[in-house]
Amino acid sequence: MIRPFYSFLLIALASSAPLLAHHSFAAEYDDTKPIKVMGTVTKVEWQNPHIWFYLDVKGEDGKVTNYAFSGGAPGQLMRRGIMKSAIQIGSTVTVDGFKAKDGSNNAFGAKVTYPDGRMVFTANQEDQNKR
Amino acid sequence: MKKLTIHFSLLVALAFVPAMCAQTSAPAIPRTADGKPDFTGIYQWPTYLPGAERGRSSATTFDRKNFAPLKPGGEAFLEPRTGDPRHDEPRDFCLPAGFPAGMLSGNAMQWFQTKNYLTIVHEFQRMSRIIPLDGRPHRKDIEPSFYGDPVGHWEGDALVIVTKNFKRWMMDDYFYTDPKEFRMHSDALTTTERIQWKDKDTMSYLLTIDDPKTFTKPWSQEFQIKAKPEWDAVGLFEYVCEENNRCPGGKCQGN
Repeated sequence: MIRPFYSFLLIALASSAPLLAHHSFAAEYDDTKPIKVMGTVTKVEWQNPHIWFYLDVKGEDGKVTNYAFSGGAPGQLMRRGIMKSAIQIGSTVTVDGFKAKDGSNNAFGAKVTYPDGRMVFTANQEDQNKR
Repeated sequence: MKKLTIHFSLLVALAFVPAMCAQTSAPAIPRTADGKPDFTGIYQWPTYLPGAERGRSSATTFDRKNFAPLKPGGEAFLEPRTGDPRHDEPRDFCLPAGFPAGMLSGNAMQWFQTKNYLTIVHEFQRMSRIIPLDGRPHRKDIEPSFYGDPVGHWEGDALVIVTKNFKRWMMDDYFYTDPKEFRMHSDALTTTERIQWKDKDTMSYLLTIDDPKTFTKPWSQEFQIKAKPEWDAVGLFEYVCEENNRCPGGKCQGN
């Protein structure tokens, strides 16, 4: 049973969620464990079955924790014109998502934005459209 | 008498009008050199017709209103959830989608047609279906498989593919929408795909499920398949599921 708040959050994030082709959300993630962090991209794995990107996130105590976020399937992203260069190592991003069922620092990145609010995985496309 | 002759002539002329209209309005479809409809090209996966029930997945799923009644005492259509991730969602461990679920997955497809074969390559899991069109019968005495044993034949401008000899496996991705509704077909499944151009860009894809261990009678759902020639420039991308499957069953490696 999905609690009403998380149900709302899940629906709200669904519009920007990466496409899950290989497995269901419920197989790997916990909709009762939302996560929102801002950090610096340290690594990108543009591989099947889903891309992963890693963030260094500084906590209130100053301690840095590395989180890993799953995204869409590379083929589905690239067919929409979203290439590996969409997310750059060293850039600062905010990720809204849900933690993995095992409670580790792995999560599903439903919404990924730059500090100015632009969506990371469509920012280049939007820029192109403005030209 | 003269008036009657004029009326008769008019009736004869009118009788030809529908035929003439049909001739002029027949869609121009891609054809091979021998006149068969040509399905070679790059396509979107089969997608919904207007009004169909949609699941929350990038894949297309079946609309329950098309289902035939379940066979009383038949094989379980909904696979019970056991809590064992390998059982509950085998694809999360990179096992194959099988047919028809893999065919409906939300990735590009490329089709290659020759006189004797249609080959369908789906980007998802690089599913490959090699469908003989040369009139051969189904193979005998082979193991049931995830994708079955397909044989195609022409019925006018429709290509009809009959596939048999499946192992019991997932039928579609509706479990993305409701994890409790993990739909299965039995090993008695026979599928019939009836594929026909509706216009030069759109195919009708009518899929019939005949699964006498699960349903009381066959049932069908029509989908559409859109040509995407603009995807040809980049083609299909590699899909090796095992490459970086970091969190199978929700147990992640690292971090």
